[in-house]
Amino acid sequence: MLAYTLTRLVYLALVLAVMSVLVFLVTQAMPGDVASMIAGQFASKEVVDAIAVKLGLDQPLIVQYGRWAAGILRGDLGRSLVLEQPIAPILMEALGRSLVLAVVALAVVAVVGIALGVLAAVRRGKLTDQLVSGVSYLGIAVPDFFWAIVLVLVFGSYLKLLPTGGYAPIADGFLPWASHLVLPVVTLVLMLLARIARLTRSSMIDVLQTNYVKFARAKGMPESVVILRHALKNALLPTITVLAIDFGLILGGVVVIETIFSYPGMGRLLLFAIQRHDLPLIQATILIVSAAYCLANLTADLLYAFVNPKIRHGMRAS
Amino acid sequence: MMTAPQARPAASPAVAGASAPEPAPLLAPLPAPLLDVRGLTISYGNARGTLRAASDVGFAIRPGEVMGLVGESGSGKSTIAMAILDLLGGGGRVESGEILFDGTDLRKLPASERRALRGDRIAAVFQDPFTSLNPALTVGRQIAEPLIRHKGLSPRQAAVRVEELLAEVGIRDPRRVAAAYPHELSGGMQQRALIATALGCEPKLLILDEPTTALDVTVEARIIELLAKLCDSHKLSALFVSHNLGIVNRICQTVTVLYGGVVVETGATGRVLSRPAHPYSKGLVAALPRITADRRHRLPSIPGTVAKLSGPPAACVFAPRCPFADETCRSRPQAMLTDGDGDGVRCWKADALSGTPWPDEAAAPPRRPPTGTAAETRSAPLVEVDHLRKIYGASRSILPWLRRAGTVAVEDVSFTIGRGEVVGVVGESGSGKSTIGRALLALTEPSAGTVLFDGADLTQQVKRGDQTLRRRAQLVFQNSAASLNPRKTVGAAMDRPLVLAGREDAEERRRTVAGLLTRVGLPAAYADRYPHELSGGERQRVNIARALATDPDFVVCDEAVSALDVSVQANILNLLAELRDEMGLSYLFITHDIAVVSHIADRVLVVYGGTICEEGPIGRVLRPPYHPYTEALLSAVPRLAEDRKEAPRILLEDAAAAPGGRGCAFAARCPRKLGTVCDEQAPPVHETADGHRIACHIPLATLAERAAVFPELAGDAPH
Repeated sequence: MLAYTLTRLVYLALVLAVMSVLVFLVTQAMPGDVASMIAGQFASKEVVDAIAVKLGLDQPLIVQYGRWAAGILRGDLGRSLVLEQPIAPILMEALGRSLVLAVVALAVVAVVGIALGVLAAVRRGKLTDQLVSGVSYLGIAVPDFFWAIVLVLVFGSYLKLLPTGGYAPIADGFLPWASHLVLPVVTLVLMLLARIARLTRSSMIDVLQTNYVKFARAKGMPESVVILRHALKNALLPTITVLAIDFGLILGGVVVIETIFSYPGMGRLLLFAIQRHDLPLIQATILIVSAAYCLANLTADLLYAFVNPKIRHGMRAS
Repeated sequence: MMTAPQARPAASPAVAGASAPEPAPLLAPLPAPLLDVRGLTISYGNARGTLRAASDVGFAIRPGEVMGLVGESGSGKSTIAMAILDLLGGGGRVESGEILFDGTDLRKLPASERRALRGDRIAAVFQDPFTSLNPALTVGRQIAEPLIRHKGLSPRQAAVRVEELLAEVGIRDPRRVAAAYPHELSGGMQQRALIATALGCEPKLLILDEPTTALDVTVEARIIELLAKLCDSHKLSALFVSHNLGIVNRICQTVTVLYGGVVVETGATGRVLSRPAHPYSKGLVAALPRITADRRHRLPSIPGTVAKLSGPPAACVFAPRCPFADETCRSRPQAMLTDGDGDGVRCWKADALSGTPWPDEAAAPPRRPPTGTAAETRSAPLVEVDHLRKIYGASRSILPWLRRAGTVAVEDVSFTIGRGEVVGVVGESGSGKSTIGRALLALTEPSAGTVLFDGADLTQQVKRGDQTLRRRAQLVFQNSAASLNPRKTVGAAMDRPLVLAGREDAEERRRTVAGLLTRVGLPAAYADRYPHELSGGERQRVNIARALATDPDFVVCDEAVSALDVSVQANILNLLAELRDEMGLSYLFITHDIAVVSHIADRVLVVYGGTICEEGPIGRVLRPPYHPYTEALLSAVPRLAEDRKEAPRILLEDAAAAPGGRGCAFAARCPRKLGTVCDEQAPPVHETADGHRIACHIPLATLAERAAVFPELAGDAPH
């Protein structure tokens, strides 16, 4: 298990190194350059050049990359050009808010999605199954921004039960904090629920046909034990992978939903950085998003091992 | 209808030996049956209609009695077992009948009460131990479950009982096994754990559904001994569902033969298997490959496939396949004829046929001499394998903890196959026999050593993209369904190799396909059918026909008949023998069943842990001197009553083979191990007459002193 985790961490570092090169090159190819942005629209060429020299922008790309990467390794993400602040605190704040959104939304999706999937599998072919399928398809087929707008209209503008957007830190009290989360979370759940429910249903159906489930029944175990103890743990493997990918997705910013609900997470930060050509901020944000994705996947694989002793032992052997 | 009075079931000769229950006094009144099934009719219904899996099935199992329920796949035997457990599922429904357990009709009980009986009074062990244990829970926890639920033990009390149970089923370190996950145990250990689970609540009735079918023969022999011992010591009754008559003979006092969901014969095991009364039983017994049979004869087989009923039978169910059937059989359903002893047969002709055996197959045509002169055959074998070695999963990585030595599948194997020769490879799972087959066809690249096909290195040729030699070497797999694409017709599947061989004329290819189908005994019209429309035996014929499409010289048959019913197996074996004789084909015949190999092979390699422990002409290998592993394999072959002799049986430990060590691969399980020399040094090869070779540290003279496992073979000249 330790060797496996070590291996995965080495790979993770490799992936991030490659990612950093790509991010750096892409931002280099983007129109506009940092020096003239700092100098302002009306600065003379001399001033711009002077700033470029001061920032080391006249040096070869490889040197520039080296300096940037070394900074990141020291924990220095650079300064935002537009906000004129260090990037790290801004980014961490946005990441924190995205994390809150991701954790709450995924907790709901996991609990409801798995429960619906199990229910549909157990009542396969019956009305419950068809109902679960129908409703979850509706969630997947209708785009997320549509649900978001409907929710804002109904609960925000019409019923005036919930704020239509924004964010309140938990320091302001639990209720304001929670009420700002409800609509974005519900939208995300509608978007992600179907896949989890369908996936759990199909792997649950497979597991319910295995010999060990038949044997558990032959031992006289009641259905609840058969389903929850014997079948579910084995059926959850594919679901865990997808949940982890979804987690990375939300953490990396769900731009549309964050925009509609004016939720200040990673998605909005990235959008802001791109719109304002804030190159250091773009680089840092994308890098952190990739790291979050990779970590989410690593967590999924480790969870996998936790659920499946066969994989756990395979790791020990390696 | 029976001419001789039959012994009481409990006194059947079939269970003679240390593990048999005491014979019941002949005149004692029969105890009331523990399980009494009457008029049981089961259907499977779906949108396309209903299928009757069991029609008016009746049988009784008395306390302490083990009854065998035998029949081919599709005969309804597992369905009946599941119906008793109330676990039919999949659209199955009991239409009518009674299932009396200890006098109570189970069908009248509510589902919750039936569930409470399951695992407590009625326990079950199923076919495949590898999938019957939950991979996510420890073995101990799974054994403890029924104890906690039915007996109300606390988890701690249950854990103590679990260790007792594991010890009782012959597991030496119960504590470790209880804490292990299923994948850490061998198949034999897993099956022992399942048996321990079933015994936990001290049930009265065991339902054993093919409990040893998925296991290696040497492991199977031990599990059967264990089951026989437990049934005896716990006074258990059991319903033993099996397709294997030899196993049934070893453990069952009575046997019920099913065909097409109908009971066709029932009686004491010894009588049914030695003097079967129903034509179907006669066919089943005749089709069983026997080591002692004369190899020059074809195996008798039962033509056709199992009947599928949708309603009550309107005629004798077996009539379409019965060589004795006449108009009466085809127009009237048959009634069960019983005698006072509990023997019964569902055939009105049974008395008239009592002396008539199942008809023999047509005598084999003379075997075509191998191509070329004898001298040429000897000097230029078709396949030469030289120091073949294959390691799986070895990896070199820059990360030190990822470097792996890999698992040795084949460790230094050398042999040759002559033109027109059939070489059998016998071994258990993990012995490397399939890897040898794959290496011979260049489907896997050897880690070391060479494979020459007709003097050329096949692996190198294939690497260069040259497929010409490969066309001359083909493969037939075990799983007839999985080796055919379900979306392609039989014709399309067979067309493919012809196209690849560069045959451009579509009309000519169609004629070739038709010719090949006819060649393997199928109607040419089968070219338009899809694989699911064919029976298992027919599909295997298609696989053989496809292998023949490129006109090969050499075919690897990897467990090609293992998944088939006995009657069909005989059929396919005959076909393979016929093709060999007429086309001069060479085969590498890979199997775990030494009885099957003795029917078709000229020479046999006995492999264990990736090494050849014995090789030689089949007639030599079946007689002493034996390698200790060969001896154990032979003694594990289940035999019918008529063949049964009081030969001491050798039971091996179920430890797994550990190939790749320095010493003899078999040392860990060898009952005749000499000492550390076996663990530390590779065994020397003793060579006797006719290329018979044994790799063993025991001197040849000592090996030769052992009594023959099949003394009936001793006098014959090896053929």
